[in-house]
Amino acid sequence: MLKLEGISASYGAVQALEGVSLEVEAGKIACLLGANGAGKSSTLNCISGVVPIRSGAIWFDGQRIDGRSIEQIVRHGIAQVPEGREIYPEMSVADNLVLGAWIHRRDTKQVRNDIARVYEIFPRLKEREQQHAGTLSGGEQQMLMIGRALMSRPRLLLMDEPSLGLSPVLVEKLFEVIEHLNQTGLTILLVEQNAQLALKTSEYGYILENGEMAFHGPSGELRSNEKVREAYLGT
Amino acid sequence: MSTTLALVIISGIATGAIYSLIALSIVIVYKASDAVNFAAGEFTMVGAYIALFFIVSASLPYYLIFPIVAAATFILGGAFERLVVVPITNRTKGRENPLIPIVIATFGLSLMLTGFVRVFPYTEEVRSLPPLIRGAPIFVGGVPILLTDIAIVVVAVTAILGFWLFFSYTMLGKALQASSQNPRTAALSGIPVAKMRMIVWAIAGLMAGVSGMLVGPKLALTPNLGGIIMIAIAAAVIGGFSNLPGSILGGFIVGVVQNLIGYFFGSTTIAVAPFLIIMVVLLFRPQGLFGGPVHVKKV
Ligand SMILES: Nc1ncnc2c1ncn2[C@@H]1O[C@H](COP(=O)(O)OP(=O)(O)OP(=O)(O)O)[C@@H](O)[C@H]1O
Ligand SMILES: [Mg+2]
Repeated sequence: MLKLEGISASYGAVQALEGVSLEVEAGKIACLLGANGAGKSSTLNCISGVVPIRSGAIWFDGQRIDGRSIEQIVRHGIAQVPEGREIYPEMSVADNLVLGAWIHRRDTKQVRNDIARVYEIFPRLKEREQQHAGTLSGGEQQMLMIGRALMSRPRLLLMDEPSLGLSPVLVEKLFEVIEHLNQTGLTILLVEQNAQLALKTSEYGYILENGEMAFHGPSGELRSNEKVREAYLGT
Repeated sequence: MSTTLALVIISGIATGAIYSLIALSIVIVYKASDAVNFAAGEFTMVGAYIALFFIVSASLPYYLIFPIVAAATFILGGAFERLVVVPITNRTKGRENPLIPIVIATFGLSLMLTGFVRVFPYTEEVRSLPPLIRGAPIFVGGVPILLTDIAIVVVAVTAILGFWLFFSYTMLGKALQASSQNPRTAALSGIPVAKMRMIVWAIAGLMAGVSGMLVGPKLALTPNLGGIIMIAIAAAVIGGFSNLPGSILGGFIVGVVQNLIGYFFGSTTIAVAPFLIIMVVLLFRPQGLFGGPVHVKKV
């Protein structure tokens, strides 16, 4: 479904990615791991069209999407849940969600249905519907970001460290949601610091080191790989 | 309460409604671009002169002048963003204090507009616009209220209400807010944030432009009318500079306080009022009268 062929990207003189290749099969969960600064977020932002690539190619459903605008890529069916707590703090939870459906804004009826679906997945958001998003807890804000991404009706969801700063209980819940979304047919590329959990949840894993792909393979194999265990699983 | 005092307050409410519009113009730009548009007062001045031009040259009625002023200042605001603010932003990206060049550019625009407007007829002498509505004043409890004052308040409040409905209930309005609050994320949802920023500047131009049409009948019209911006900034400061309802209330407060100061201490002291208000608020409640604790912007 998604295929990165040797992409490179840089910020001015800072080289962030060098010849990164990666593939995500339709209906699967793949994870992308790596230390701080390895280039995980940069990879997602290249896919989303936020960061231009210098060389290589990005394919989605057989079409080349690198060089297209962010809006076009969202329209193709790729949504990103960015790293951190990226919400509209002074707007209501409901408005935060509605804005995720910007590309479908003319289809008001379906937008309403989609919101109802998001509330079904995250009943907590329904309770907080009219509250300013800035007053939500960290976990609720993470749910809101996922809900907002779903509002664009993606087929591929890019998630950038969704478990960041969540309590162990919430992390568990979050991964349940991720698996649930995947079961409804959503393909997911998951960036995580929590390598243990990410490799358990995903079918295939990639590990970036200093902007280059260091390891990749079926998640089960990565989990038993000596070097991976030592460097990323702490065992 | 004496009749004169009541008149002073009512007139203050009418000018206050106008200040609210200019303050809103400044605050929405500040929220979208982090920069204070010091040319907002000149948008008011240009709006007033456009109205004057069509009244004197073509005797157009106000209901035709309103859309002309609105459209012209809308385009002026959007064009300035596209032609000046965007190129500057692109050049200063990643540098220290990237906003200072933009603020300086708005000063440049204010000087340019002040100079440019003198090219047009009817600007060499002090004039003022005819009242919005003619007719005998209405007496409320023995206090005569001018119809034009009522009209000013009605038009300004309707405009403010319209903006509020637009920003809170339409998808475009919400996207404008979102692009101001978190542009990177808004972009990730496919919202064209650059276009949104231009629209905010255009709407800000329109707000200030319309205020000029309203202020024209009340104040003497000269190319230096742009100095009115200090009063609007006082109103915005009362609102904590990023609180829209606070700035609206701030406009009314400044309008009334200014007139009261003039009433009690003589009309020459009126000019001091906005500075006094700015200093008092910044000293004792820098977050504005209505805001919570000081708003720390996350980087
Ligand atoms: N906007 C930017 N400007 C300059 N350099 C950047 C920018 N964004 C990222 N970088 C650099 O690119 C490299 C990769 O960063 P990236 O954010 O992709 O890492 P990451 O794997 O997501 O790290 P983390 O786990 O900390 O989120 C880093 O060296 C980083 O400093
Ligand atoms: Mg990252």
